[in-house]
Formats: sequence, structure tokens, C-alpha cells
Amino acid sequence: MKKHQSSPDLSRRTFLKGSSFSTLMSMLGGVPLIAQEQPKDAPAAIPVGRTVKCGVIGLGPWGREILSTLVRFPEAKIVAVCDTYPAMVRRAQQSAPGAEATDDYRKVLANQEVEAVVVATPSHLHRNIVIEALKAGKHVHCEVPLAHTVEDARAIAKAAKAAFKVLFQSGLQNRSHPQRHFLLQFIRAGAMGKSVMVRAQWHRKQQWRFTSPNADREKEINWRLSRSTSPGLIGEIGIHHIDMAGWFLDTKPLAVTGFGSLILWNDGRDVPDTIQSVFEHPQGVNFLYHSTIANSFESDYEVYFGSDSAIMVRENKAWMFKEVDAPLLGWEVYARKDSFYKETGIALVMDASKLEGQGENASQDAAVTSTPLYYALEAFLRNAGKMSNAVTDFTANFGNDDDALKEYLAETFTKSRLPAAGYQEGFEATVIALKANEAIMDKKRIVFQKEWFELG
Amino acid sequence: MKQTHLTIRTALIGLAALTFAIPASAQTWVRYQARPIGSKVKIEGTSTLHDWTVDGKLIGGFMELDSNFPLDPAAKPAGNAKLNAKVEVNIPLTSLLSGKKLMDEVMWDAMKQRQYPQIQYKLKEISLKPNAGSGPLQFDSVGELAVSGLAKTINMAVTIERLDQNRLKVTGSLPMKMTTFGIKPPSPNIGLGLIKTGDDVKVSIEWLVAKATDASKPAEKN
Repeated sequence: MKKHQSSPDLSRRTFLKGSSFSTLMSMLGGVPLIAQEQPKDAPAAIPVGRTVKCGVIGLGPWGREILSTLVRFPEAKIVAVCDTYPAMVRRAQQSAPGAEATDDYRKVLANQEVEAVVVATPSHLHRNIVIEALKAGKHVHCEVPLAHTVEDARAIAKAAKAAFKVLFQSGLQNRSHPQRHFLLQFIRAGAMGKSVMVRAQWHRKQQWRFTSPNADREKEINWRLSRSTSPGLIGEIGIHHIDMAGWFLDTKPLAVTGFGSLILWNDGRDVPDTIQSVFEHPQGVNFLYHSTIANSFESDYEVYFGSDSAIMVRENKAWMFKEVDAPLLGWEVYARKDSFYKETGIALVMDASKLEGQGENASQDAAVTSTPLYYALEAFLRNAGKMSNAVTDFTANFGNDDDALKEYLAETFTKSRLPAAGYQEGFEATVIALKANEAIMDKKRIVFQKEWFELG
Repeated sequence: MKQTHLTIRTALIGLAALTFAIPASAQTWVRYQARPIGSKVKIEGTSTLHDWTVDGKLIGGFMELDSNFPLDPAAKPAGNAKLNAKVEVNIPLTSLLSGKKLMDEVMWDAMKQRQYPQIQYKLKEISLKPNAGSGPLQFDSVGELAVSGLAKTINMAVTIERLDQNRLKVTGSLPMKMTTFGIKPPSPNIGLGLIKTGDDVKVSIEWLVAKATDASKPAEKN
């Protein structure tokens, strides 16, 4: 379980919260491609879905972020919180009064009231917790990477596949984000022209180390700094970019070459603080990724380069930069345009024409304000509720006919669920990230083998 | 006294006849059980934004037909006569799905799903339509439909098609108003503003049933 971490929050949380880079870009004249946020009163107008009783296992910084997001949903009732560090459990209880507090995840799984668990422990501790949770009939949201080894990730994915009566969601949260779906349609429709390359980065200036007066505990909470347990920057952070690049390009990488250096934080750790990797996708399209905790310049963003335009994605916004010889798309005549240093950008706003038709200002910088985690957990709760409904409805009418239930779920649940990453997406992204980490650690090129992605 | 003996004898004969008649009568019913796969419910409606459709694939329940119930169009059965049949249908509300984000919850809420989780139907009368033609036999049915806690008598034309020796497909559709069942057409404030849903909907069903090998158990797989 994730132990108490006394240092400032870092990694996934800071990555997701990001900085004010978008503001800077706007001031420089960039044009945001914005997915319009729903009206502020919209959530209150939507009836609450089925209540899902949740347990949160792992209450480090990210686990607490999950907990504080979960409690915003009326569908979520937190009935158990778990961490091996008592102070974190006590802290979590303030957000979830009345929840069972324990340092043993097995007690959470044995609690019949718990319908769903969110597993936010260090990745090398996921395997047993997730597999036992699935066997106990709990819906599972498991953070990514699914595990710190391909073998463990495969075991988790296989267990998730077998447990067809419960939901498994992997923590590739951008898969649930409306802005990403908006961009996906845009890019897949060919608005960028022919894909040329992708570049993404995550830059921070932070130590990535936590302190504790207890030496054993300090070692335990600094699992990210030890090669034996850490998936590295590429596994902890880059996995989200890897997933997005593959999703937008609709391909899997053929090979990866990695470089890693320990440049600034030479404090006994054996994982690099600065990495570069090149993922070779089909058709000669390469995805360049670099990440460092030694310099924060330009923070984090992705750029998708096409023969007609480039799209930069930053937090909840994006900017499009057209080539001068790109064909006229039509809609951009009416779209907002801004200067962006020496470039001119065109605003893309989700549902812009409908908004204009309703007298709304589509060019406002309203943007989708909720975090990717919010949308991912919304999807988890709604989907878990629908999965429970579907299984209950079916068995009440037709008994325990598992083959028919599987067919029914495949026909109906797939259609009705909110978008989210499942076990297959989580497994594939984990395999790519872990192999990339291997390439980084050994400074070599690794060719992906088809069988690595098979669950068997 | 003789009269008394005659009366007793007549009564005994009657009782004996009744004793034999009860099982004989029970054997004339053929039970069909809903199949888990192959049924469809569709509800079509309108709104100020666009037309909408809700689909379901779960129709539970059973059908019991008199062994003389007409199912073969080639036999040219006579119409109009009331037929012996028992039908009960359950449709779980949460199995009705729109495929639109968050709209399912809006619909279930409007239909008071938490209080009344099932749509229920019970047949009261059924008769064969005369001159039904060469296709599957068509019937006029009268039944009680309970939605959102309100039960109403509805008339619905249905066809019953024999798919093979064991399976039947029942098809029917019915225009209706939400307000008939006390359902206020939803006006959710979703995404791009207020959407007003029309009161009129059309409900269509395709219900697959199969002979139960044991009346107390669901039928075997398709």
C-alpha cells in the first residue's frame, strides 16, 4: 500500500493538475481548441445514477486525490478506506466519515458492503489486491501502470477478462475526457492531413523523493527511486502520453529506443531523472517523448504533427496550426483566430456551431474545467452501476446462465457505458511503457513482439 | 332413500370425472419461457433537439398456450374466437438504454425506476384476427400494462410466429403517451441547454420464447 509521503505531492497528481502554460500560450497569441464545458447547472439537472459503495485502497497523494474526487459524486458512497500507514487512514476518514478504516486490504475485500474498489497503491503491489478484488466480485479501478512487470500486468488483465460480471477500469483517465474524444474525432477525420510525427514532454523540477524519520519506511515510500520497483518516468507519467499517441494515431509502436540519465538528483537512486525515448509507429511515424525532473521549462504538452496542420494539446485545451498550403476546411472561416508568435491558430470548440446557434459564445476560454480524473471516476461509477444493474436484471429473469449473460453484456453494456479504458487498453499501455523503461535503463532499442500484447 | 343413493352416486361419478378432468385440462397447456438472448424492445420518441430511441434486450416472463392455440398459418384457422392463453411479461427499466451519455439516468428517473423497477404486462384476452393472410398469424390482444406504478388496459395487435418446433417470436408495437402512465416527459438540462421531450412514443417489442422442458425452469438455450 502507498505509505505516507510527507513531501509535497508530485508525479501523477502534479502532472494532471499541470501549470499555467495554457495561459502563457494564450498571452502569446495561440488559439485554443477547447472542448466546451457543460453549463454549470447541468450536473445538478442529471438524476443520480445507482449508488456505488466504494473502498479506496492506497491513500498516498494520488489515492487521496482520488478520494477527494470520489466524494464529489452523489453516486459514490465511500464505505472503506485502507492504507498501511495509520495517519493516512485517519486523514482519509475526514473525507469519508463512517467508512471502515483498515490497514489490511483483505478486510476491504471481505466487506460485503463494498461493491467497488479503487486501487491506488504503488504499482508493484497491485497484482494480489486487484486479482483478489475481482475474485471477491468487486468492480475495480486500477491505476496505471497496471503493474511493474509485464507478467503481473498480464495476470491482472487476464483476471479482469475472466471476471466478466464486474467492471475493470484502468487508470488511463484521458480516455474518459470529453476534450480528448473531441480531438480524437478531429484527428481521425484527417483534419491534420497525413500524420508526420508526435512529440510529447513532461518537465518538472522536483526531487521525486519523500522523507521519513524511519529508514525502512523511507525506503518503502520511495519505491519510485528503486529500479526493482519503479517503472520510471516513462511508466509513471509517460504511460498516459504513450496511450494518447497510440489512440490518436490508431496504431501500436513497432519498436522503442530509450535513453536515460541521472543528472541532478544523484542521491543514491538508481533510476534516471531525465529520459528520452523514440517510439517507431507504422508508416514511419515516430513518437518522441522526453521527461525530466531536473528542469521544468514548458511543463507538459503533446504536439501531433500532420502534413496539413499541427495540433498542440495542453491540459484541457489544444491549438491548431495550419500549413499555408492546407486545404480549406470551411468551418475555420467562422472560427476564432489568434496570433501565436509567427503562426496563426484556429479555435476548435466542441459543439461550437450548436453553441453559436444558441447564442452562446463558443470562443470563450471556458474549457472543460474538470480534471481527467473526475471524468474517469464518473465513468467508473456510472459504468459500475450499469454493470451491476445489467447483471441483476439478467439473473433475476434468467438465472445463472453465464454464457448468455456474457453475450448480453457484450451486446448491451458496451453500447451504454461511458468511455473509459478497460483491461486491454491498460495492459497494452503498461506493456509499452515497461518495455520503454527497459529500453531507457539499458539504452537500447527494443522491437515489440506481438505475443507480448496477448493475454492468452 | 333411493333418491338419496342416486344423488350420492351422481356426485361420486361427478367427482371422479372432475378428478380425471383436472390433470387432463392441465396437460393442454404448453408453456413457453422467455429466452435470455434474442428479444428486443424499442421505444421511439421525439424531442426539441432530435428524435431519440431507447433499446432493450431483456424481456422476461412466460407464455402458456392451449395446445389447440393456432400457430400454423397454413392450417387457415378461423378468426375472432377468444383463445386460451396466459402471458406475463417483465421488462427491467434499467435494461432500457439510450446509448447517450447520462440520458439513461434521465429516462429511468422520469419513469420512477427506484420505486417501480419493472414494466409489467399481463394478458387478459387474445383472439385471432380473421383473414390474417399468409404471413405469421396476427392476433388482437387486451392486457394490463403497468408502468411507473400505474396499470392501464391496452389493446395491441401482435403476431406470433413459430420459428421452429420449440421457439416462438411475438411481435407487436403500440403508440402511447407518457402522460398516460403519469410520466412527465423529461426536460433535462443537458449539454447544450434545455431539451423538451415529446409526450408521444412508440413502443415495439420482439419477444423470443421457447418451450420449457420443465414448466418450473427456464427453457434450454436457443
